Amino acid sequence: MKPPNFHYFAPTALEDALVLLAQHGAEARILAGGQSLVPQMNMRRVRPATLIDINRIANLAYVQPTTTGIAIGALTRTTTLEHDALIGSRQPLIAEAARYIGYPAIRNRGTLGGSLAHADPNAELPPVMLALNAEIEVRQHGSSRTITAANFFQGPAKTSLTTGELISEVRIPDLPPGAGSAFIEVSRREGGYAIVGVAAVVVLNADRSIAEARVALCGVGPTPLRATQTEQGSIGQPANAHTWAAAATAVQHEIINPPDDLHGSADYRRHLAAVLVERALTSAAARI
Amino acid sequence: MTTTPEFKWVGKDIKRREDPSLLMGTAKYTNDVQLPGMLHTAVLRSPYAHARIINIDTSAAKQLPGVHVVLTGREAAEILNPVPAFCAEPVVEHAIAIEKVRYAGEAVVAVAADTRYIAEDALDLINIEWELLPPVVDMLAAMQPDAPLVHENLKSNVVFDHTFVFGDVAADFARADRVIKRRLRWPRATAAPMEPSGAVCSYDPGSGRMEVWSNTNMLNFVAWVIASTLKLPPHMVNFNPMYVGGSFGSKHVLGKVIGIAGALSKMTGRPVKFMEDRIDNLTANDSHAADRIYDAALALTNDGTFLSVRLNTFDDYGAYFMFAIAGNTNVMAQAIGPYKINSVEMDIKAILTNKNQQTVFRGAGSDVSNWVLERLVDAAADELGIDGIELRRHNFIQPDQFPYKIPTGNYYDSGNYAGVLDMALANAQLDHWRAEQVRLRSEGRYIGIGLVSAQQRSTYSATEFWFHNPAPASGLTTTPESVRIGIGPTGGFNATLFSTFWGNSPETVVAQAIAEEFDVDPSDVNISYESTRHGLPSAGPGGSRLTVMLSGAVRGAATKVKDKMFKIAAHLLEANADDMELRAGRVWVKGLNDEKYSLSIADIGMKAYWHKFDLPPDMESGLEGSFTYDHPFSSPPNAERTDLGAFYPMMGNAVHIAIVEVDVKTGKVAFLDFIAVHDVGTVMNPRALQGQIRGGIAQGIGIALLEEMRYGPDGQNLSSTFNDYLLPSTLDIPNIKVFHHVTPSPFTTYGVKGGGEGGRMVAPPAVTRAIEDALTPFGIQISELPITPESIVKAIAAANGA
Repeated sequence: MKPPNFHYFAPTALEDALVLLAQHGAEARILAGGQSLVPQMNMRRVRPATLIDINRIANLAYVQPTTTGIAIGALTRTTTLEHDALIGSRQPLIAEAARYIGYPAIRNRGTLGGSLAHADPNAELPPVMLALNAEIEVRQHGSSRTITAANFFQGPAKTSLTTGELISEVRIPDLPPGAGSAFIEVSRREGGYAIVGVAAVVVLNADRSIAEARVALCGVGPTPLRATQTEQGSIGQPANAHTWAAAATAVQHEIINPPDDLHGSADYRRHLAAVLVERALTSAAARI
Repeated sequence: MTTTPEFKWVGKDIKRREDPSLLMGTAKYTNDVQLPGMLHTAVLRSPYAHARIINIDTSAAKQLPGVHVVLTGREAAEILNPVPAFCAEPVVEHAIAIEKVRYAGEAVVAVAADTRYIAEDALDLINIEWELLPPVVDMLAAMQPDAPLVHENLKSNVVFDHTFVFGDVAADFARADRVIKRRLRWPRATAAPMEPSGAVCSYDPGSGRMEVWSNTNMLNFVAWVIASTLKLPPHMVNFNPMYVGGSFGSKHVLGKVIGIAGALSKMTGRPVKFMEDRIDNLTANDSHAADRIYDAALALTNDGTFLSVRLNTFDDYGAYFMFAIAGNTNVMAQAIGPYKINSVEMDIKAILTNKNQQTVFRGAGSDVSNWVLERLVDAAADELGIDGIELRRHNFIQPDQFPYKIPTGNYYDSGNYAGVLDMALANAQLDHWRAEQVRLRSEGRYIGIGLVSAQQRSTYSATEFWFHNPAPASGLTTTPESVRIGIGPTGGFNATLFSTFWGNSPETVVAQAIAEEFDVDPSDVNISYESTRHGLPSAGPGGSRLTVMLSGAVRGAATKVKDKMFKIAAHLLEANADDMELRAGRVWVKGLNDEKYSLSIADIGMKAYWHKFDLPPDMESGLEGSFTYDHPFSSPPNAERTDLGAFYPMMGNAVHIAIVEVDVKTGKVAFLDFIAVHDVGTVMNPRALQGQIRGGIAQGIGIALLEEMRYGPDGQNLSSTFNDYLLPSTLDIPNIKVFHHVTPSPFTTYGVKGGGEGGRMVAPPAVTRAIEDALTPFGIQISELPITPESIVKAIAAANGA
């Protein structure tokens, strides 16, 4: 389990990384936390000709308030997502999901940008970003653009990033007043990949009717799934067990072709999705 | 009842001697060996389960700079004999496959290069032309007469098929009021130690000698067999003892790993290292374990008295048969569990398939039969409507019945099964949990209690390996173990072991035993390991034998040393050697307390080494003693194999109580409590034993809930990484409460028994029953492991008619 030869660059400035990325194009891969890329290279499942190690770039790891929410640098470690006070107070859903990711040693290295760019369909952070309507700031040499989380994930290990682009920042708008959130998952063992995970946000009106519900899942398809029909069906309903049970039924119709593998059959994943959606919505509403 | 004899150091809860060098990283493992000019190996493994090798093109790989040798199986066969196999059947395995591959992952080409990176680059450049053969994956399909053959020379994939009958099984079943029958399925698991297997071999073409540094852990037992694989005279091969990062049965031989490194070293005249990586280990280490279907039956009377047990076993051994049916003969050591059962029948069908082969894994097959027997006992309790605890108690062998000869011929040395059970009950608060169970069910929550009582045989005697071979074709090997004790001129102790460290506590055991024998502090004892060149007989760790065997060897060596010390002291103190005694690190004239009638151990050491004129005439200088301890209570089987003799007689017992909650919506299982009471005779070191028990229980929970080596219908290994072979981590294991019950063995030094495998041998049926008990409202029987969340959800859905 040793990788083939590759060229290695360790730029200290973002602009230098972008120049290298422009020069090496599709042959290059970004090395951030390396928790997925390095094992894949060791097993020779991916063979990049060039690695651009961004770990020495200053000012890519941060959590900052903005006028409308928070901004998180792409190189921010999972352990920071788990423990950062600003995230904990403004977007506890991120911290809650981060605790499910691997073990402390993995969380100390893995990064937010890396997890999103890797786009593993079972990973926890992609559905969280979907549920939070995150905006992903993408840079390339000479330009930048913003991609919404909803438009970012295209398939297993596939995103809207084009050759030469890297994620620099993720911006998360504040939730409206009266919002609660929850993340819940089932995995075969603690710290392992989710079989199914659910991120939920509920916003209630003053009369505790549902103003807005957001439901996003991992483990049920090639990309994380935003269950928009389930969400729509909840709007205006009272925040009670009947509504959440209806959401659980509804979400099963939005899961078209769930994976069927060693750790969970398609039927089980669809079943789990329903159970976990009901529980996540219940929990999110209870936190308001 | 606890009857601990009075000892000063045996049983003392001192810190493990091994830990500082392990925790500080100074212990030397195989991969730490670095030699000048050493080459590194990578192995190209078959992508197919069953295929004929038509042609191998290695020309491009050989051209790669840094590559020294590209070795195919055909070329290797000129340097190597087949790897060791201990079966009577003609199942031949080569370190590198020659004509065809028999499992996905089998070695096809080995490369030696300047670095492992280059070696793996070279693998990319090798082209193989294959003729694909139909894979044999399902063991029952493999038994069909028209099934493709894994080994054509055998004419069948059923490599072993025999019914062992111990006692009048037919009569016992005929007089039974009822027979409990279950088909039970135990999954293929694997040992997966932290450190994979590996070897550094260094052949000197000048002298014809080979040095081996490898984590094979039965050095003295198998080195001479592996020398035959290497086509070298055994006395020209020296195996160096290495620290071993766990074995659990997976590192007993390592013929392929050593064979590949050895062949490449012989070809290059350079030291060559081959370390398995994790994929090598999971797909090709030969450490897969029992993969069994049991048609099991328990005959009993209506009052719950057990009469007989019948076990029809189908066991998927994979592609080779290295240890023959050792994993099934092991069952015969304790087939009746802790119960009075009159007779036993075991029909064993060993089936070859296109998978990496099965050998032994902690428990060595008795882990499986414990689960099977306890499943039958719980099923009997359910069918008879008798409480499982009382049913067990009703059938226990009683303390006054030991030593107890069981129908297979093995003996149970001692035990107090009701005492162990009572200790567990006293610590489990079952009344509380039963009340909670009722209360929580009304809230839609499901908790369950699993209680089992099971055996943990210890102190392996190798006769087990030969039961299946027709007498008198094979001899019966035995299992000696040696220790050398030397006292230096300043009184310090040096103890030499001939087994390796494999994650257990041999140094702690020996230091405490020497401290006991000489009334010195364990810190006065230095411990080292010796290579095979200097080795005394040693069967090494395995079969929960080392604490018993090292204790006996220390006692023997200490007796020799003390005898000489007493003679020297008596000579100097002008007394009789018979009147000498050891007390507080000095040799005294018995009964006297004035120091002038004593000598320190250092005084005696100095005289022994450097003051020949002060020694008795005719005494040689020096102060050391070696002792080779043979199994203290074993006997050969009869020719008909209807009485197997005593072969695993140091019989431990344990009661495990698992309390779980099952989330019936998701199928997830959570532990609420776990109580483990073990009786392994006198405890040498409580904390070392507790570590063994907790680690074993973790593996038992693994097999109950997580672990399974899966193969696809095409024979692909689907569990080749730890993403897909699921080991429990500390996060999946509860805080286990461990208690010791002590019933000393009458046959061993200090009364110790082995405790290395018990945790894994007892936990699975407790976890299974706890889940089944939780699901009682749904009427679900559990007959298959691992119990996955999905399997629970499906069973509930089926029970609900969904």
